Amino acid sequence: MLLFSLVVVTLICAVQAIRAKQLITSSLWLALVSALCSVLLFMYGAHLVAVIELSVGAGLVTVLFVFAINMVGDDPIETKPVPPRWLGMGLALLFIFLLGWYVLPGSIVSSASAVVEQPMSEVLWQQRGIDLVVQVVLIFSGVLGLLGLLAEVKAPLEGSVASEVLSRREDEMKAMESQYLSGQETSR
Amino acid sequence: MLPILTLLIIALPWIGAACVWLIGDSRPRLLHTLATAFSVLSGLVALSVLPFATSEAVLRVSLGGIFGDFALVPDGLGVFISVIATVVGSIAVIFAIDYMKHAHQLARFYALILFFIGAMAGLALSSSLLFTFFFWEITAVCSYALISFHNDDPNAVAGGIKALIFTQVGGVGLLAGALLLYAYFGNSEINTLLTQHQNLPPQVLAAVGFGCLVAAAAKSAQAPFHSWLPDAMEAPTPVTALIHAATMVNAGVYLLARFYPAFESIPGWRVAVMTIGVLSALLAGLMALAADDIKRVLAYSTISQLGFMFYAVGSGAIFASQFHLLSHSIFKALLFLSAGAVITSLDTRDLLKMGGLAKRMPFVHVMFVIGSLGLVGLPLANGFFSKELILEGGLEHGPFWLYLIMLLNAGITALYSVRLLWMVFWDKPHGAQPAHDGMPAMRISLVVLAIGTLTTWLLAGNFGQLLATTLPSHHVEAEGTMTLVEEIFTASATWIALGVILLGFGIWIARPAFASLARVLKPFAQSGFGFETVNQLIVRATKRTAALMQVTQTGQLNWNVVGILAGLFAVLLILLQGK
Amino acid sequence: MSLSLFNIALVGLIGLLGIGFYGLMASRNLIRIIVALQIMVKGALLGLIAAGQVNGQVNLGQSMALTVIVADTIVAVMGMALGVQIRARLGTLDVRALSRLRG
Repeated sequence: MLLFSLVVVTLICAVQAIRAKQLITSSLWLALVSALCSVLLFMYGAHLVAVIELSVGAGLVTVLFVFAINMVGDDPIETKPVPPRWLGMGLALLFIFLLGWYVLPGSIVSSASAVVEQPMSEVLWQQRGIDLVVQVVLIFSGVLGLLGLLAEVKAPLEGSVASEVLSRREDEMKAMESQYLSGQETSR
Repeated sequence: MLPILTLLIIALPWIGAACVWLIGDSRPRLLHTLATAFSVLSGLVALSVLPFATSEAVLRVSLGGIFGDFALVPDGLGVFISVIATVVGSIAVIFAIDYMKHAHQLARFYALILFFIGAMAGLALSSSLLFTFFFWEITAVCSYALISFHNDDPNAVAGGIKALIFTQVGGVGLLAGALLLYAYFGNSEINTLLTQHQNLPPQVLAAVGFGCLVAAAAKSAQAPFHSWLPDAMEAPTPVTALIHAATMVNAGVYLLARFYPAFESIPGWRVAVMTIGVLSALLAGLMALAADDIKRVLAYSTISQLGFMFYAVGSGAIFASQFHLLSHSIFKALLFLSAGAVITSLDTRDLLKMGGLAKRMPFVHVMFVIGSLGLVGLPLANGFFSKELILEGGLEHGPFWLYLIMLLNAGITALYSVRLLWMVFWDKPHGAQPAHDGMPAMRISLVVLAIGTLTTWLLAGNFGQLLATTLPSHHVEAEGTMTLVEEIFTASATWIALGVILLGFGIWIARPAFASLARVLKPFAQSGFGFETVNQLIVRATKRTAALMQVTQTGQLNWNVVGILAGLFAVLLILLQGK
Repeated sequence: MSLSLFNIALVGLIGLLGIGFYGLMASRNLIRIIVALQIMVKGALLGLIAAGQVNGQVNLGQSMALTVIVADTIVAVMGMALGVQIRARLGTLDVRALSRLRG
């Protein structure tokens, strides 16, 4: 019963996250969803992942969101969403219904494995060692990608903004030149 | 050693393409050198594999599942086509050193040509129909990219798209054949088809046979799929010489020759092949008589000669068809490259603006005459021997009325060749002074090809031997060169054909008598005998359907997600069905 | 109706996926779309762990869930960096402005 109510509360928080008017509120609801999810994971026996989910999902990602929202600002977008809301809602409900129909009714025979599973450390480092390599590669490429993305701020600008900036730079150069020349003349 | 060499035939041009692409446009001289080096090297490798041709697979990489094994089989047919692709390819690249002297985007040009050469070799060497299809498609893409190389010219782009659409429609036939093979035999190996074709239900065999026929006809620009080749003449001339005269268009003939043992028993297949060949030769010959663009005349001539090859395959004369393929590659490349020299020298492709070049461009004149000797089929040029073999084979194994029309085609060939020579070289000058008589790199390539035209017939015996020993299913009868030559010179068919050719010359000399007939036929011939309108309709219908489908490409994330969900629904519904 | 342990998790999974999809379809703001993606991934995690528990192989499920968390966090980070850049270049976070891939 507790489990079921936790799931229901998680779903409600997720709905709130989507419905929230302000971005900061949305990300705070997301943090709540993360925390509840972590509790659920713990109750299913995944202790390690629950802790990691709590610190990463509810902590790190939320902080990232807050930073990002600070940088981009919270301006609301006025116009209506393009696939009309009813279409989106209808499709999502249809999806839930179809998937539920496919997955839920069957009785899942738990194939209680005769083999007692190995401790977590062994599974993680030996059996799924490849996964860790994948994770390292992912993080590496993520960092590189970030560096590439954020470095562009210093790259030469294109488009209409560029012409403004360039013309401003030209004016500055001309001002400096005339200053230099006039300075030269006075010193002669 | 052999596996590595065979692999190198395909890999060397591809490595060259990658190198050229990476170097970029900033160093043209390096690009010319690299491209020439890689293509000549691959030609040498292909020639070195020739004596060791075997019908066993030399390289086998298992890819599992429907892909089967990727294997290379350097048998006579395969290595022969690779040799043509690489050697004529290197000659065209040498020609391009001068032709593309000041062109932009040279890296793209050479990369595409090298990529194409490798793919053509792969097409001929692969042992599985699926991989043949894969290489087939690569050649189609390279052809499209090279035709529309000058992509700021709308004619070039239109020509490229037309070529792509036509050859892709044919490619579908090939893919269908490959998949049918896989469904019935569990693998799409060509060898399986050749040895076990009798185990297929007759309708399936007929489907595969006619599917391959459609693919071959589209690729070799045979009627009714012929109209892409003349429009592909917007390509730079080295591209035309390589792709649209010597290699890619031969892929169709190669395909039919390769599968002949499997398909010859299908009722109506052989007659269909022969009829397509004869019809294309006739139509194209007539259109060549009416065309006023030097490259278009040569393009129609290519279609006509490919019709001869189809006729040969249909009548069972596999050796004759391949021999003519060899001769045609060489003399047609010679003709196209000479035409390229004329075009760069006069800066026009219009026949009405040429004339009198016999005295002003003597070197190119001689080259062109040699090429025409091969085209018309006069003794001592390789075209003579191969064409006579084809006509003989057709007379023996095919319907007599088709043979008569083919004789007529031989006469028409003579007629349009002499017309071409007259209008470009022997008539009074109608245009500007030529700028040059063939630049150095051009001359080298032309001389090599001319020597080839005059001498490759000497290898006929060895070639026949090669085919006979490495193609077990084809039952090729091989005879020595001198035996063949003797046979040809003593056969009455030869003298009849020569007579028709002389008649063709005579008609040209007496042309005022035929002026009224020519006036009536000319508009029909120039409009492609009604085929052009059909093609335009098909192209417009395709474009309109594509424009209708554009609505789904909104480019907006939210709609894309809706699309993803729709796909998910489809999957879920299918899964629920099976529950 | 008595739901087994696994079924409850499935309810959570399906619900979160559905809500996430709705969020993807109805959001204009790039940051909101990232929020919706995060919600979907939480659902996936639930599914993974519950399946592991049913099979008796929780540790295997945990290892996979770890990879999913790492991947998803990187996606969120990259998404937000993109958002910052887009805001700087185009002046808006509206996803409609990013439609250069129009057919």
